Amino acid sequence: MKKALLLVSVLFLIALTSAFCGGTAESAAASAFEVPEGGYDGSEVTLTFYHTMGANLNTVLDEYIAEFNQLFPNIHIKWEQVGGYDDVKNQISTEIPAGNQPNLAYCYPDHVAMYNLAGAVATLDNLIASQIPVTHADGTTEILGLTEEQKADFIEGYYNEGCQFGDGLMYTMPFSKSTEVLYYNKTFFDEHNLKVPTTWDEMEEVCAKIKEIAPNSIPLGYDSEANWFITMCEQYNSPYTSATGDHYLFDNATNREFIKRFRQWYQNGWMTTQTLLGSYTSGLFTSTNETVSYMSIGSSAGATYQRPAAGADGKYPFEVGIATIPQVSDANRKVISQGPSICIFNKDNPQEVVASWLFVKYLTTSVEFQAAFSMASGYVPVLKSVTDNEIYADFIAQADYGKYITALSTKVCLEQQDAYYTSPAFNGSSTARDEVGALLTKCLTIPEGSDVDAQIAAAFKLAIQKCEYND
Amino acid sequence: MGGKNTMVESRRPWMAWVYLAPAILLLLVFTVWPIINTFRMAFLVGYRGLEAVQGKTFPFGFGNFTKVIQFQDFLNCLRNTTLLCVITVPLSTFLALLISVCLNSIKTLQKGLQTIFFLPYVTNSIAIGMVFAAMFNIVGSAHGTSNQIIITAGIVNNIITFFGGEPVNWINSGSTYLANMTVMVIYIVWNALPFKILILLGGLQSVNKQYYDAARVDGTSRRRIFTRITVPLLSPMIAYVVITGFIGGFKEYTSIVGVFGEKMGPANDQGRLNTMVGFIYDALENNHQGRASAAALILFGIILVVTLINLQVSKRRVHY
Amino acid sequence: MAETFNTMQEKDMGSVVSRQKVIAVLAKVLVYAFLILMAVIVLFPFYWMINSSLKPLEEYRLPIPTFWPHKLLLSNYVNAFNTAKLGRLFLNTLYVGVVSTLLSLVITILSAFAFARLEFKGKNVLFAGLLATMMIPGELFTITNYMTVTRLNWLNTYTVLIVPFLVSVFYIYLLRQNFLQIPDELYLAAKVDGTSDFKYLCKVMIPLSLPTLISITILKMMGAWNSYIWPRLVANKDPLNNGGHRLITNGLRNAFTQTTGEVNYPEQMAAVALVSAPLFLVFVFLRKYIMKGVSRSGIKG
Repeated sequence: MKKALLLVSVLFLIALTSAFCGGTAESAAASAFEVPEGGYDGSEVTLTFYHTMGANLNTVLDEYIAEFNQLFPNIHIKWEQVGGYDDVKNQISTEIPAGNQPNLAYCYPDHVAMYNLAGAVATLDNLIASQIPVTHADGTTEILGLTEEQKADFIEGYYNEGCQFGDGLMYTMPFSKSTEVLYYNKTFFDEHNLKVPTTWDEMEEVCAKIKEIAPNSIPLGYDSEANWFITMCEQYNSPYTSATGDHYLFDNATNREFIKRFRQWYQNGWMTTQTLLGSYTSGLFTSTNETVSYMSIGSSAGATYQRPAAGADGKYPFEVGIATIPQVSDANRKVISQGPSICIFNKDNPQEVVASWLFVKYLTTSVEFQAAFSMASGYVPVLKSVTDNEIYADFIAQADYGKYITALSTKVCLEQQDAYYTSPAFNGSSTARDEVGALLTKCLTIPEGSDVDAQIAAAFKLAIQKCEYND
Repeated sequence: MGGKNTMVESRRPWMAWVYLAPAILLLLVFTVWPIINTFRMAFLVGYRGLEAVQGKTFPFGFGNFTKVIQFQDFLNCLRNTTLLCVITVPLSTFLALLISVCLNSIKTLQKGLQTIFFLPYVTNSIAIGMVFAAMFNIVGSAHGTSNQIIITAGIVNNIITFFGGEPVNWINSGSTYLANMTVMVIYIVWNALPFKILILLGGLQSVNKQYYDAARVDGTSRRRIFTRITVPLLSPMIAYVVITGFIGGFKEYTSIVGVFGEKMGPANDQGRLNTMVGFIYDALENNHQGRASAAALILFGIILVVTLINLQVSKRRVHY
Repeated sequence: MAETFNTMQEKDMGSVVSRQKVIAVLAKVLVYAFLILMAVIVLFPFYWMINSSLKPLEEYRLPIPTFWPHKLLLSNYVNAFNTAKLGRLFLNTLYVGVVSTLLSLVITILSAFAFARLEFKGKNVLFAGLLATMMIPGELFTITNYMTVTRLNWLNTYTVLIVPFLVSVFYIYLLRQNFLQIPDELYLAAKVDGTSDFKYLCKVMIPLSLPTLISITILKMMGAWNSYIWPRLVANKDPLNNGGHRLITNGLRNAFTQTTGEVNYPEQMAAVALVSAPLFLVFVFLRKYIMKGVSRSGIKG
C-alpha cells in the first residue's frame, strides 16, 4: 500500500509538471478559403455528405446525384443519414479533431459556430465570386461562382443567413426551409363556429371556449418549447440573445411576463408541449380517443404527421386546417425560419472543397431539385423561381385539408415569407436555445400556491447562469 | 505478496517483459496517459479540445476548478450524489445484514432464497430502471394542476389507490424532488442488495459456530448475540460493503438514466437528478475537457477522502 | 422483530424450555415471513416486466391492473425486437463481448503469469503501481481516452469498444493470486524436465485455474452486455445506417424515447425482457462461478 501511494504521488508530480508546460504554441487563425488556380481540375474525388433525410427524400437526392454526375462524372457523392440534426453536430464535432469530418453536411447556424471553434468550415465568398470556367462532361461550361441571376433568385433572407457569423463571411448555403404553422381541427372549428386565432389574445379566448365545449381536452399543443420562447421574444421585440457583447439577454420583464401568462394557460389545462406530454403533440392532435387537442403548433414540414389516420374508406376522421401561428401584433409579424443549410468543410485537398461547392451549387440553384425536394418533404424551396415551375404550381394548387395537406402547409409558408426571422448564431447559441426551452417547460409547471414570480425569476437566473457557464 | 523464495531465476529475464508487453502497452495508452493528461487539462484554464486542435494556448491555473465549483448545477449534482449515497448505503447495508442473518438462521429454502436475492445483480441497470419507471409511471397531462387528467397509472399507484390513497406523481413532469428521490432510493437499494447479501452471508457462514454455542450456553439474548457477536465478527465484511458502497454510490449514473432517461430528471425539470458522473459527461459532450477533468479530479478527491475516513473509522471499529 | 428478542429474558427455569420452544417457533415464522416478503419485493419488478410484456396495450392501461394477462400477446416480443432493432444490437454486443473477452483473457493470463512466476527487476513496484490505478475512478480515464480514440480515428468502430478496456488490473490481480496458490514444486519439476515457461503455463497453470478464468469470462461478458457510458460516447450510431456499432443497452434506452405517439409500455417491457433473458440464462447455468467471482471482485461487470 505504501508503495502504491508513493507511486500515485509520483504520478501526481509528473502530471503537475506536465501541466505547467502544457499547451501548444502554434496558432492558425481562421482564414478565407482560396480557390485554387484553374478551379476544379476534373480530378477524381469522393465526397461525404451528412444529412438527416428520411427514406423518401433519399430517393430524390439519389436521382439528382445521378443528374449531377452526368455533368461531373468524377465527383462521387457518398451520403450518410446521421440521425437528427444534433446527431450530425455531435458526430462532426468529434470528427474534426481527427481531421475526418465529412465534406458537406446539413447544418444549423449554431453548429457552424461550433465547428468554427476549430476553423473547420470553408468560407464560400471566393467560390461564389469566382469567374473561372468549369467544363462539364459534355463539353459545355459554367462559371465556378454564382451568376448575378442565380444570386438574385435566392430568397434574400435565406441567402443572408449564410453570413451571420459576425465576420461578414459566407459560411453556408440555404438548402430548404420550413417554419412553424398552426394546425387546427377544421371539422371541430366549423362545427362550433370557432374563429381561427391570429393573435395570442384570440388564442386565449379560443382555448377557453374549447375547454368549455370539451372539458376533457387540452385545446392546444405546442411542439417546440424553445421555438415558442424565441418566437415570443421576436414578436414582442424583446431581447433574446446577441452575437456580440453580452450574449444572453433573455432575462427581462417582458419575457417573464409572457411566461407567466402561458403558465396560467397550462395550469388551466389549455395547453401542453412536447416535453410535458412526453411525445410529439401531433399524437394528441390526431388522436381520436381519450384526451385530444384541437390545435397543434409544429413544423410546416411535418404536415403529414398532423393528419389523422385515414379510415377503411380512405376518408380522414376530420379535416385539418393550417394557419399562420398567432402573433402579438399585426405590425410585427414573426415566424421562425427553420430548416437546414449546407456547409462545406475544409480539407487538405482543395479540389475536394471545390468539388463540394459544385455539388452544393447544383442542389441549391437547381429549380427542378428544389421543386422535387419541396414536394416530397413539405419543406419550402429557397429559390424564388420555383413557384413559377409548372409542376410545382400544380402541386400547390391541389392543396386541401386531407390528402394534399403537404401542399397546403407549403402554401401557408410561402404566404408568410416576409415574417421569417433567424436568431443570432454564435458559439453558445445552441445552449441558449436548449436552456430557454427547458426554462419555459419548467415555468409552466410551477404549481399553484407557491410564489410564482419568485420561482420564475429564479428559473430565469439559473438559465442565464447555465448559458454563461457553457459559453 | 506470496512468492516465497523458490522463484526460479529465469535464464532470460527479459522474457517477463514480453509476457507483460501487451498489458503495459495498453495501460500506458489508456490508463497512465489519461491520468497525466487529466491533470494537465484540469489546470489549463478553459481547455477545449476543439480549440486546441486549432493551436490555441491556454493559461495555467485553477480557473476550471473555480468555474466548476461556482456553478449552481455542479452543487446540485454534488447534493444529489451525496444524498443518494448517504441514504442508500446505510439503508441497503442494514437491510442486507438483516436478510443475511435471517438467511443464515434457516436451513430449508436457504439456497433458493439466496439465489432469488442475488437475482437483481445479474441485470442490466438501464433495463430494469425502465421497469421501475413503468411501475412508478403515471400517464396523463397537466400534472400538478387542478386540471390534471390521469389516463392510467403505474402499478405502484394502482396499489396506493387500492388501499385508498391518492396516486402520487413519482417521476413524470410536475413531480416533486422528494418523489423522484424516493424512487431512486428504492431502485438503488434494490440494486445494491445482492452484492451486500452475498458478501455478508459469506462472512456469516465462515464465522466459527463455537462463539454462538458459547453465547447460547450463557443464555445471552438474541439481540445481544447480534450486536455483541455477529456484528463485530462481521465487521470486516461490513466495512468492505460500506466502502465499496460509497465508492460506487459516488459514481451513480446509469441507474438514473434507467429510470429517468438521459435527461436525468422529470420532463419539466431536466437535469434535476443529475450526478457528478453525469456532470463530467455533460462537460465532455460540450467539449469542455478542461472542466470535465477538473470535475473528475474533484470526484476523485471526494472518493479518496470518503474512503480514507471509512478506513479510519473501521480501523477503530473493525475487529479482526 | 424486537419483541421476540426482548421476551427472551426469562428467570423461571421450569417454563423456560417450553416457552423457549414456542418463541423459537415464532421467531422462525417471523424470519420466514420477513425473508419471503423481501423475496417478493426483489422479484416483483421481474414479474411485472414479464406480466406487462405479455399484455395488449389496452389491458396494460386498465385502471385496475390484471396480475396475469387475460389475453396473452406474444406479438409484443416480435414488435419490440423490430422496433428496437434488437437483432443487430444483439450481434454487435455479442461480437464485442466475445472478442474482448478472448483478448482480455490472453493478456490477463500472460501478465498474471509474469507477476506470479517470473522474476524481474522492478516487479513489486510495477505491481503496486498497477494496484494503485484501481483507486482512480474510471471517469477520469474516459475524458482523455475519448480524445485518444478520436485522434486514432477509432470512433464508430468495433475497435473502440474493445481495445481501451482489455486490461483489467483487477483480473490480473485475481489470477495472480490463483497462480501463486499452485505449488512451487510443480514448477520446479517442470523446470527440471526442461519444460518451457510457456508450455508450463498452458499445460499446468491454466487448467488448474479454470474456475477463476471462467469467473473472469462471465464477468467480462456481463460487462460488455451492460456497458452503457463508453459505447454511448464513442459508437452510438444507429445500426440501420451503414452498419452502426451501437450496443444493446444504448439501443434499448433510445428505442422508446424517439418514437412518436405514446410509449407502448408492453412492447418496451418485452424489449427489456429480451435484453435481460441472456443474463438470466447465464446465471441459471453458471450461478456458482458468478457468485464466486463477484464475491471477490465487488464490481459490476
